[in-house]
Amino acid sequence: MELWQAALIGLFAYLGRNQVPWLCGTTGGWYGIGRPLVAGLICGVILGDVTAGVLCGVAVQAIFIGQITPGGAVPSDLNLAAYIGIPLAIVAGGSSEMAVALAIPVGALGVALHNFTMTFNAIWPHRADKCAAAGDARGIRVANLCGQLIEFAERFFIVTLACYLGSGFAEGLFAALPQVVIDWLAIGGKMLPALGFAILLNQIVQEKWMIALFVLGWVLVSSFSLTTTSLVFIALAFALIYVMARYNGNGTQAASALEAAAIYEDEDGNYEER
Amino acid sequence: MTEQTHSGATGAKHEVHLSKRDVSTAAWRWAFFCLASQNYERMMGTPFCHSLSGSLEKLYEGDKEGLSRALQRNMTFFNTEPQLGAIIPGICLALEEEKANDPSFDDEIIQSTKNALMGPFAGIGDSILVGTINPILLSIGIGLSAGGNPLGPIVFLALWCGIVIPLKYFLFVKGYDLGADAVKLLTNVELKDKITTALTIVGLIVIGGVAATTISAPIAFTYTSGDMVINLQEILDKIMPNLVPLVIALVSYLLVSKKGWSANKLIVAILIFAAVMVVTGIM
Repeated sequence: MELWQAALIGLFAYLGRNQVPWLCGTTGGWYGIGRPLVAGLICGVILGDVTAGVLCGVAVQAIFIGQITPGGAVPSDLNLAAYIGIPLAIVAGGSSEMAVALAIPVGALGVALHNFTMTFNAIWPHRADKCAAAGDARGIRVANLCGQLIEFAERFFIVTLACYLGSGFAEGLFAALPQVVIDWLAIGGKMLPALGFAILLNQIVQEKWMIALFVLGWVLVSSFSLTTTSLVFIALAFALIYVMARYNGNGTQAASALEAAAIYEDEDGNYEER
Repeated sequence: MTEQTHSGATGAKHEVHLSKRDVSTAAWRWAFFCLASQNYERMMGTPFCHSLSGSLEKLYEGDKEGLSRALQRNMTFFNTEPQLGAIIPGICLALEEEKANDPSFDDEIIQSTKNALMGPFAGIGDSILVGTINPILLSIGIGLSAGGNPLGPIVFLALWCGIVIPLKYFLFVKGYDLGADAVKLLTNVELKDKITTALTIVGLIVIGGVAATTISAPIAFTYTSGDMVINLQEILDKIMPNLVPLVIALVSYLLVSKKGWSANKLIVAILIFAAVMVVTGIM
């Protein structure tokens, strides 16, 4: 890997970091180009192998698909995992199992790095407090932006160096592995997405029976080779039928009476759910 | 929550109102810089003040002390899901405008509105926006990426940004327009339930389909006895295609939901299972 390629990957890793504002905040950053799916395409373009990049991106994304970051706390830093794991795997031969094998430990290390930055950045609100006391609104805006100094130093340099120095290491590592370990990583990599989907299901299943919908989607695609887009329309139809049957029609009056009873307005006009 | 008093300020020295442009600037400042200096002490406290700061400068023009107090009361701890929660700084901006024109307006109301809304919005935002819509769009993207097709990531990015960027701008402006009235609107339980349920159903079916193409567990085991060769994978495929990966996915889900397994524990378990399968030659 050339130094300019590593630096470009480091730059995109910074732009896709959670707190970075430049791509319309967290939307285009962390939840946009920070997702391993998009990171795979970006690294693939930079390293000249788009197909391998996208395939690595899909494999890493599947493992982290259920991951959200409540309160800024990350269970695993998927940005670091993607922007180090995917380029190193592309350089070392391009298999998506390699990307997964590299991404998981890097993601775990990334949590410590993230915590360090989030703690260190606590110096800026104190600076902003002083500006507020002096009535200096511009100073507060500057203090807010100063947080980016640490974020940039942390993400850009670490990812650039890891990609630049790690590429030789990754190539050597995968060349030296015995066949049985490569088989093990390949099989493990094929099954690991179950982890991402398990966590995602645990998060969005509201009532137990809904797991049947997951099985339905699974069976439809396995048996009829539907595309994802056609599956989306089938799913929309199911959702419409269910929501209309549950909230409209005969049930309306009973349901809305229940809703009305569930909300209670006290003397101050505060609404409370009972 | 509170009855808005539009009467005040009649005897006040100055009556300042924010223009559309001021609100728009504040909305974009929130959209871009909502996390710029996020930290474990104040979380989104400084960004919150950053977003409103331009408007506050206008509201307290020539009143350095008023501006200083306004900035200080917006520097407190704030933490929510910043995309759906964009409505909160919008609401607070409307309240700040009212406060600037009506000195008798209690600033406790601004503080308590902000504090009361950040928790619920963190919950709704995390579950609907980043916990359901983002994975659904990612699933569509993964589905389109078959064979390394770059269309998948591009479609994901376009759909996600196309939906969420206008949404967070709209929510901020809506919050400003409604002011304290927004709080009442937000307690519309039925609408929230409808949206959540519909999204959950779409999400589960689509995610099921994508999981089927992403998780795999090819069985290599064959039993040979004379001329008869039994290929276990072929037999399983006749029962139902993709049966073994489905069982693995459902067992993983049960371990997470019923046994409370953490992600790391499950990674180790899957890797051990894979090692056993490879060593015994089953996979």
